[in-house]
Amino acid sequence: MGKGFGHTCLFIDMTSRRTHREVLDSEISEAFLGGRGMGTYFLGLEPGLTALDPAAPLIFATGALTGSHIPSSGRMMISAFSPLTNTVCSCSVGGGFALEMKRSLIDIIHITGRSDKQTNIFIENDSISFEDSPWDRETPLSRIFEDLSPSGGSAAAVGEAAYRGCLYASIMVDNSFASGRGGLGLVMASKNIRALVVRGNAHVRATPFDPEAEEKARTDIIRLFDASPALMGRSGIHAYGTSALVDLMASRHMMPTANFRRTFFEGSTAFSGPAIRSEETPRHYACRGCPIACKQKSAREIPEFETLSHFGALNENNDLKSIIEANLICNETGMDTISAASTIACLAEIKGARYTGDALVEKVRSIMGTGSEAELLRKGSAILARELGAPGKSMSVKSLELPAYDPRGAYGMALAYATSTRGGCHLRAYPIAHEILGKPVKTDRFSFSGKARIIKIAEDTNTVVDSIGACKFAFLAASLEEYAKGFAAVTGLAYDTQDLLRIGDNIYTLERHINSIRGFTRKDDMLPERFYTEPGTGGPGIEIPPLDKGQFFSALERYYRIRGCNPDGTIAETRIKGLLLCRTR
Amino acid sequence: MQNQVNKYLGKLINHGLVEGPGDAELYGLDDEIYSNRDQVPEKVRAVFDALNINSLLIALPEPVRWSIISELLRGNPDVISPTDSESLTFIHDIPVIGSFDPGAIACALNRRKGCIVKDRGIVSFGTVSLEQAFVVMSSICFATFVKYFTDIINGLHGFRGMPRPTSLQIDTCQEFLTRITPYKPSSPLSPIPPADEAGIIKAMDAAGKAMVHAHLVDSFFGNISLRLGDVIYISQTGSSLDELPGRIDRVPLDGSSTCEITSSSELSAHVKIYELSNDRAILHGHPRFSVIMSMFGEPFKFGETRHIGGIPVVAGEVGAGRKGLVHTLPQAMLKDHAAIVHGHGVFVGSAHTFHEAYEKVSSIETGCFELYKEALKSGA
Repeated sequence: MGKGFGHTCLFIDMTSRRTHREVLDSEISEAFLGGRGMGTYFLGLEPGLTALDPAAPLIFATGALTGSHIPSSGRMMISAFSPLTNTVCSCSVGGGFALEMKRSLIDIIHITGRSDKQTNIFIENDSISFEDSPWDRETPLSRIFEDLSPSGGSAAAVGEAAYRGCLYASIMVDNSFASGRGGLGLVMASKNIRALVVRGNAHVRATPFDPEAEEKARTDIIRLFDASPALMGRSGIHAYGTSALVDLMASRHMMPTANFRRTFFEGSTAFSGPAIRSEETPRHYACRGCPIACKQKSAREIPEFETLSHFGALNENNDLKSIIEANLICNETGMDTISAASTIACLAEIKGARYTGDALVEKVRSIMGTGSEAELLRKGSAILARELGAPGKSMSVKSLELPAYDPRGAYGMALAYATSTRGGCHLRAYPIAHEILGKPVKTDRFSFSGKARIIKIAEDTNTVVDSIGACKFAFLAASLEEYAKGFAAVTGLAYDTQDLLRIGDNIYTLERHINSIRGFTRKDDMLPERFYTEPGTGGPGIEIPPLDKGQFFSALERYYRIRGCNPDGTIAETRIKGLLLCRTR
Repeated sequence: MQNQVNKYLGKLINHGLVEGPGDAELYGLDDEIYSNRDQVPEKVRAVFDALNINSLLIALPEPVRWSIISELLRGNPDVISPTDSESLTFIHDIPVIGSFDPGAIACALNRRKGCIVKDRGIVSFGTVSLEQAFVVMSSICFATFVKYFTDIINGLHGFRGMPRPTSLQIDTCQEFLTRITPYKPSSPLSPIPPADEAGIIKAMDAAGKAMVHAHLVDSFFGNISLRLGDVIYISQTGSSLDELPGRIDRVPLDGSSTCEITSSSELSAHVKIYELSNDRAILHGHPRFSVIMSMFGEPFKFGETRHIGGIPVVAGEVGAGRKGLVHTLPQAMLKDHAAIVHGHGVFVGSAHTFHEAYEKVSSIETGCFELYKEALKSGA
């Protein structure tokens, strides 16, 4: 078996500071692959724990392809129960952390317990040490990463937001990459871990199972990348980062504006890719081994598309400098930008206010402040709106704030928001690929026809992507067909596309089952009422009517049948029995 | 889903890929299976049970295409490896299986997007829509056609290590040529340049339909554009040239918008051609004999230029990568406003309208067809 596929888990108990390495049963690792799959496996062992229970695990897991020559496959997944949504939650993170874990011959780090003081953990090959953290609660994350840099390797850390109890606190990796959604930073802080540093020196790339087949898969994937206008074209993600999507979403009249009251923002050209290039002259950089190089930096970090759109259009703000500043505050304090921007937009609508420019920056800064409003802002839009007597103003699903694709402009996206196992997330199925970008082929964005199965298959596919450590952007060009060949070449496991999809189906269905155990049912698979009653903003040749609730429910019911759910959205008993038997051939 | 079934059945027939409605079975699955057949055979249900897909196409190609595929199957290959660059990029290779056994079909479709079933035709699938299955079926027809004629002519002249065809194989090839026309003429395009956006979309719609109708693009892979002032209008990536309205991007040349992220993979090449020339319209198609003749001879090196019938042939891969055709094609088009990209297709520019460009693509294809016949004769 090639070294690309391992199943060594480092268990850390923060209460006792005991650690041990364990090689997991190969049946488990072959059934869950790595990354998100392994996270889901561990969460499923005790599905009823609350997010901040010391016994609830925080899991860092590499993908099966991490360290291989297969392009764009160095992602790490961080998993835990979300304090924001109470669902299972896994976040894909770039940076060098996954590779350093592999170099330390660790595939998974599983952390439970709670330290009695703020602690840094250092892992170097097979040695592990714990140190008291020297920083104040308010120390900016950039300072923490700077202080850690002499240690070498890669670091994950939490900031002030986590220590102030922000429900959408993020974990930052290598100062630039965020595990943003769902508040996993709060989980890390609840264990009193301020930073986790890994450095290894093993040569993990030395022995793929079949080097020739690995090279063939790599070549096929690179050729597809080069042929992809979305990735490598003049205006693709390589050239502009994800800000390349700003103009596209504006042109399709599906850019959430004014807390989703509208779907078009006149001022979006102020934070488009060309505007950023002109104002900031950024350079691009990448996760290790990724030719797409989607990240952009000038003197300061350039925000991602979601952040640009939400600190921009969602708050009716056309001031680029304030958007960049707001993003910087989130990065320095460790907050999810989507939830922060959306919670502020929600507050603005309830109060009849508008926070733009410096006022927006101040409002973001105020999240770390004192007083009842700051407390509410840290709880996210669902709690804030409920507490202020306007629950309908929270634009979230399962309390996770929706990202920057208005569901009235892409019906697959509407369904995918509802069925996502971590709440209102675009990445679990990413139907934008076919509804807007036309990959692999274009589908009718204003129709639910066929979307139930499309979403289900995409959820399964993206679960595999997250479990092998690949980047979802790669799948705007390549497909599981090419990555399955890479997987087999690296690991020596003769899994093909459908084997992987079956595993993806099982992991996703297990996530849904865990959520059911935690009390989630059909009533939670609903979009905010606004989307069924209020139209978006039309334009030349484009109408954005409200979603037809009957059609939405009909699609949801079809989805349930296809996913193996009962009519109430829980997983059927017959399906539960097979969840751990992932290879059914 | 039923709409998709009906639409792609119509397209299979209109594109000349199958002879009639009885030659294609189309299945679309959401929570139930939709089809052009009254009943869904158990074997088809078994394929759906085995695969996480939402559409399946089983089609017997029209007789000439199927005869050509059958010739390629004579050596009982397990897999057919295409020679043209687009097929290599997007479908890689084509598994071959003996009969419609659900297990064998599932195994083949686990590996690739489509396969050839010796006693049935081509089987392909989609995970998003029947359009994927249609595109793959069309691509397999194109890839096998190009491979057959390329291998014969190279073998005949001792190129690329191909075995010399037997006299029976040469006779068969000649017989195929009598049943093939290089392109199917369509009604002429307007020679009047469009003056506004509405006119441009109308002109692009007509030109795209003409290219498909004439079989100058065999699948979804061509692209076309038109320049008006400082704006280029170009077909989107993956768009079918006979369904362009709604799939045309407006690209300002000053780079003020990134909406072109959905544009054709060859946008960079189109832009460069416009920058270097006074062209106003560009057509890019995959006329089969132009592609075949571009591969006549020993393999081509990047940066090398050859000529076929006076038209330059250059190497270059799809897109704007290090060896992308954007680095070779635009220069090659300077003299004659036309060039062939090795193993890929024809690009033609016009300083006026699509009318002129379309005529030129057609004449290049006719010329290459004649050159092929001559090469076959001289080699024999």
